[in-house]
Amino acid sequence: MTRVRKGGVAVMAAALVAVSACGGGDDDGGGGSGGDEVRLWLSGTDTPQELRDYLVETFEEETGATLVIEEQDWNGLVPRLQTALASEDQTPDLVEIGNTQSPTFTYAGAFADISDLYEEIGGEKLLPGFVEAGTVDDTVYAVPYYSGARAVFYRKDFFAAANVQVPTTLDEFAAAAVALQAANPAGKPNFSGFWFPGQDWYNGIAWIFSAGGDLAVQEGDQWVGALSSPESQAGLAQVQQLFSSATAAPRDADSEEPWIPFNNGESAMFSAPTWARWSIDLPECNKGVDPEDESAEAEALLAEQQACNEEKTGVFPLPGNQPGEAAAVFAGGSNIAIPAKSGNQELARDLMRIIFSAEYQTMLAENGLIPGNQDYAGALGDDVYAQAALAAGVDAKLTPAAEKWADVEGARILEDFFQEIASGTDPAEAAAEADQLISDTLN
Amino acid sequence: MTAPRSPVPTAPVAPVAAPPVPVPRVPAVAPPEAPASRRKPLRSRLGPYLLLVPALVPIVVGLGYPLVRQFVISFQEFGLAQQFGRPAEWVGLQNYVELLGDSYVWGVIARSIAFCLVNAALTMVVGVALAVLMTKVGRAARITLQVGMLLAWGTPVLATMTVWQWLFDSQYGVVNWLLAEPLGMESMRYHSWLIEPLSFYGVATVIVVWMSVPFVVFTVYAGLLQVPEECMEAAQLDGANAWQRLWNLAIPMVKPVLFVVALLQIIWDLRVFTQIYVLQRAGAPTRETHLLGTYIYSLAKEFSMAGAMATIMLVITLGLTTFYIRRMLRQEEV
Repeated sequence: MTRVRKGGVAVMAAALVAVSACGGGDDDGGGGSGGDEVRLWLSGTDTPQELRDYLVETFEEETGATLVIEEQDWNGLVPRLQTALASEDQTPDLVEIGNTQSPTFTYAGAFADISDLYEEIGGEKLLPGFVEAGTVDDTVYAVPYYSGARAVFYRKDFFAAANVQVPTTLDEFAAAAVALQAANPAGKPNFSGFWFPGQDWYNGIAWIFSAGGDLAVQEGDQWVGALSSPESQAGLAQVQQLFSSATAAPRDADSEEPWIPFNNGESAMFSAPTWARWSIDLPECNKGVDPEDESAEAEALLAEQQACNEEKTGVFPLPGNQPGEAAAVFAGGSNIAIPAKSGNQELARDLMRIIFSAEYQTMLAENGLIPGNQDYAGALGDDVYAQAALAAGVDAKLTPAAEKWADVEGARILEDFFQEIASGTDPAEAAAEADQLISDTLN
Repeated sequence: MTAPRSPVPTAPVAPVAAPPVPVPRVPAVAPPEAPASRRKPLRSRLGPYLLLVPALVPIVVGLGYPLVRQFVISFQEFGLAQQFGRPAEWVGLQNYVELLGDSYVWGVIARSIAFCLVNAALTMVVGVALAVLMTKVGRAARITLQVGMLLAWGTPVLATMTVWQWLFDSQYGVVNWLLAEPLGMESMRYHSWLIEPLSFYGVATVIVVWMSVPFVVFTVYAGLLQVPEECMEAAQLDGANAWQRLWNLAIPMVKPVLFVVALLQIIWDLRVFTQIYVLQRAGAPTRETHLLGTYIYSLAKEFSMAGAMATIMLVITLGLTTFYIRRMLRQEEV
């Protein structure tokens, strides 16, 4: 009996091992070999559906291979890229990455060298700050995909009710925001003249940049935090004033979706990339169209709704220190690169060429995104939004192109810092602490 | 009450040794065994261990490999560049020295231990109380409690975190509205629960205790069901009131269960991550609210530092739980 039992166990063990081996085999066969499929990772919803369809169709026409576009969330993008880009099975063939995270991955060697492609896709005409963020030792690894500067959206009726004009300087802007808050035209208890949440550093650094300060500067081969410099402190003093008397936004909120309180009538102004125009949805203009509805009437109603929204809201670039110039706002946007471990290098380069073709760059511009190749920025159009975007984009500044800048963002040092400012902490104290943290992280 | 037991219960010979009656059987039992073990020593001894192999292999691969790798990395300099192929250099104890020399790290460790102990204690108290309640109420109430607990426990953590975030949102949250409207505390209407570290930990404690209590309740309830009714009745006849019956009779009987559950709570609450991480993203000052789990995660690209910190956390966990494990083992022996 024991012999039969042991024999049975041996057979079972062998069967188990065989089954698990089969399972493993299937996994390897299905997934990562190159083949005809090219994967593009886009971050967030900034690239409209129309452009994605164009890419898929054109890529298939020109190369015969299929393009699969996978959308990644901005939240947690960096950890996902850390693991995916390092693995041959999981890596996409072309990846969109935030311009602030570009330097880190470029230095780490995550991307393939595309210096030879650089001239072909635009060379000098590509946005210089973005190219710098993707270059190490004169070798180009990542190139600009699109850029979007921030502009200020405002309610014309609130401005009229509070008797405020569109500001032409930064000081006038602060005065306008304070006046609007005091006037409270909407009669809401938590009304904000300017929507400025406590953790919103994307908007806050415009004041630092405009005063001539910076977040971090390179001294020799060390990076040093620059929030304590006199210029930065001057900007931060203005910021603190805005926090205390021009906004009722929560101190623990960040810059996500600032149009929601605007749509609720809880703020008179908010600052966001110019494509935020599509998110404005005032209740008095809303036609109640079902988002799933794709009929012609639905489209017509949506167009009407958008026109109504754009009539009631105006936009202007955040003004600079002198009338006629724009503030140096944060240059949002993305770079695009080919991961070094991708198995489809040639096909990925073809896709890159399609993205930098005149048609695609023009399409980007037509949808409110400043294209990587500045030549096509004219296609942004003539309307108020395009003008605001271009004016704001001229002087827009990037975060420092330090190798470890992505760590500063990952540790949320600037969110914490601005939250301190919003809570009334002395800017010099908070800046000294933040500078120390930034220096420790960057070096 | 402990019954004296022979301290060396081992091989088949022992039960034969204790009572005198079966002695004549010894010569009958022993010989067939002896020749068998002398003829095939290896096979009969290895058999049971071979059966353990299929279970051990996944454990070693799934748990052992990351542990060893983490340990090895903590002695190297391993960053993002090494992830993409550059070789890693050995730096010995430098990572540990850097971490343990930083007062901020000690702050994180102290906060984590405090948070863990407070949460584990609260969870145990509330859990045992609810378990006792469940033994006393009628069927309908008990089933309602059980279903409620199961839902709280079984819902995915991120889904519940989203709802808790909405509840405590400073602008549109239900808690603030409840405090302001029906209860009339106007100043709380836009109160931010997450911006002060202490208030942040308070909210986190509520959430973590809420999520951990069901496990304690179910386990302790099962243990309490094993308490014999006759003992309780006897105690009642002897004049013990309900509280004395519970504290002096029922609880000591379920002590092993309580120990195991408390041990698990301590381990889990020390390495709490999801709840803290989601709440931090919802608006808290990140640096001041880091606990061990989120701090290790924040060392994201410095894999070697993260590995060193994780090893330190492992040592702390072992330190906190050794006391419990030793007591548990002593309990079993006695």
